[in-house]
Amino acid sequence: MAPATVELERISKAFGSHTVLHELSLSVAPGEFLVLLGPSGCGKTTALRMTAGLESVTSGRILIAGRDVTEVPPKNRDLAMVFQSYALYPHMTVAENIAYPLVIRKQPRAEIERQVRETAAQVQLDGLLGRYPRQLSGGQRQRVALARAIVRRPAAFLMDEPLSNLDAKLRGHMRAELKHMQHELGIATIYVTHDQIEAMTLGHRVAVLNKGRTQQIGSPQRIYDDPANIFVAGFVGSPSMNFLAGALESGRFRAPDASLPTALTSSHERVELGFRPEDCRIVPAGEPDCLAGNIYSTELIGDHVLVTCRIAGQPVVVKAEKSFARGIGDPIAIRIPAERIYLFERDSGERLRP
Amino acid sequence: MPALRLFRARRLGRLPPAAAALVYGLLAFWTLIVLFPLYWLVITSFKLPIDVAYPPKYLPFLDFQPSLHAWRYIFVDLGNDTLRPYANSLIVATSSTVLAVLTGSMAAYALTRIEYRPRIVAVATFVVLLIGASGSVMFFRLDWRVAGLAALALFFLVSRALGSRWRAHLGNGDILFWMISQRILPPVVAALPIYVMFQQLGLLDTRFALIVTYMTVNLPIVVWLMYDFFAALPKDLEESAALDGASRFRIFRQIVLPLAKPGLIATSLLVLILAWNEYLLALFLSTARAQTMPILVAAQNGTRGPQWWYMSALIVIMIAPVVALTVAAQKYIAKGLLLGAVKG
Repeated sequence: MAPATVELERISKAFGSHTVLHELSLSVAPGEFLVLLGPSGCGKTTALRMTAGLESVTSGRILIAGRDVTEVPPKNRDLAMVFQSYALYPHMTVAENIAYPLVIRKQPRAEIERQVRETAAQVQLDGLLGRYPRQLSGGQRQRVALARAIVRRPAAFLMDEPLSNLDAKLRGHMRAELKHMQHELGIATIYVTHDQIEAMTLGHRVAVLNKGRTQQIGSPQRIYDDPANIFVAGFVGSPSMNFLAGALESGRFRAPDASLPTALTSSHERVELGFRPEDCRIVPAGEPDCLAGNIYSTELIGDHVLVTCRIAGQPVVVKAEKSFARGIGDPIAIRIPAERIYLFERDSGERLRP
Repeated sequence: MPALRLFRARRLGRLPPAAAALVYGLLAFWTLIVLFPLYWLVITSFKLPIDVAYPPKYLPFLDFQPSLHAWRYIFVDLGNDTLRPYANSLIVATSSTVLAVLTGSMAAYALTRIEYRPRIVAVATFVVLLIGASGSVMFFRLDWRVAGLAALALFFLVSRALGSRWRAHLGNGDILFWMISQRILPPVVAALPIYVMFQQLGLLDTRFALIVTYMTVNLPIVVWLMYDFFAALPKDLEESAALDGASRFRIFRQIVLPLAKPGLIATSLLVLILAWNEYLLALFLSTARAQTMPILVAAQNGTRGPQWWYMSALIVIMIAPVVALTVAAQKYIAKGLLLGAVKG
């Protein structure tokens, strides 16, 4: 089947009175890579399983290629899914695993063999076709699961944390391969992860979920640079955004040990000031319009140093040059350009915009 | 921290010689105890009556001269009287086992993967109407077809009418327990009703009656054993197959059954042995044509007193197929029995 659009229209899922997903709406275009990102229990896997047909839909509609599939069983949705556990059939060889979707579709034997061989070559599994899953390494199993998904060119791919069982090095490698392959195939992909780096690197668009509610949907750049609320701001980015509680007085942020100008002009009793570690600079103590504190610890990462400071008892992380050479306990100040400051209403978590 | 273990399995080869000798000695002793009755059985089948007792002889060719007279008697003189029950046993045990494992494993799989919610109202209505219908047939001489149809119609009416009001329901666990509870009753309690039922149907002394009865009696055991095997299988595999395009029955056939093979084989063997050795129900349901081996062996004793030589020969041929099957399926039995204990 030709690559198709996957649309979720205000889908909700409730178990009894407990709602785990609130009215999620998404549209994934052919060739688009959409990542569902959120902490565990945010409803992202439920949303994926609902799309697959493995969970019933409490309300809302799911459309694939314009066809309403909300009540259609999984086998008739023409989707391929890669599971976190890979879900390889242990009693079948690699070749049989990859061929299974084609065997079910009763394709001619010669055609199946040709496609299995081609797909296996695509994911560098040639030579392993006669092995059983238990004789493979984690990375190889992952490739078999991918091969089984791509062998029949489905309408869309669904991936449920497919890289989370791999070690860090392999994960980086597979991430690049996955992105390349999805680009080559041009098939809509919904990818679930709790790893924000995976989300940022893989996705054309990212949908951030928390507690079953959609927080923001947008390009990784947009999610990073222009977070809709304090949850998205804190969840995306590593090391994560720094926050300081305080008040806004005619556009000036005030907190103990801090008084600095912002891009806003309004006043608010309860706000959170947010800024990313790479957006600020450590300057000598006593400079005006800065946060004042002292150094708590320093970590050399390689091309930069992460400096943890204490501002009014709160830890604040600053990314500094690798030549940074001040000791623990030294008093310092932190300068943040006004345009790099994010302000959030403390009670609702909503972003305050100029 | 390593887990604290009270008992750690060790390779026998690594033990100091004295300890190894002790272990092997104990094992040999126990093997002897287990195998001796079998040895006694086999040599007795080759003995003349004079050699069996007063005093018993144990060493063929040294102690006594083996003779084929018992074997000649059961195969040549008795002939079909031995072979017919043997064939009956083979047919009854294997067909009832195949049927019980086939239907039982499907039921067990359904119980692990599909949520059933039988309404309490419907169950209660069914029981009440069943009692009512049987009572009216017995006491008021009502035609059983009329009673059955009336009860069925009433069942649908009442359960539909009340079902929407009382929504309390049972679950899969209750169904499973109900099935196992069928085995709590001693079989002798049910033997007489079963006898009457087949008598009314005109099916006494047929292999069909035995097959149906054994299948029914063994079904709960199959469901109970297979339930654990299926529950231990990862659901991901089945969901993956569903997305690959497989139907539920195909998933059961191509994914679930192959993975549950050790369990299926262990369960089949257990059920087969139960059916093979079954005595009580066979006693009620068969007289001559459908007689099975356990009845024949017992009859040897009953009619002529203990003729050890004939009985031994009969028992040897009776246990031979079970021993052969057990040896053949040994690796699956070990796996099957372990699966429940150490999952993963």
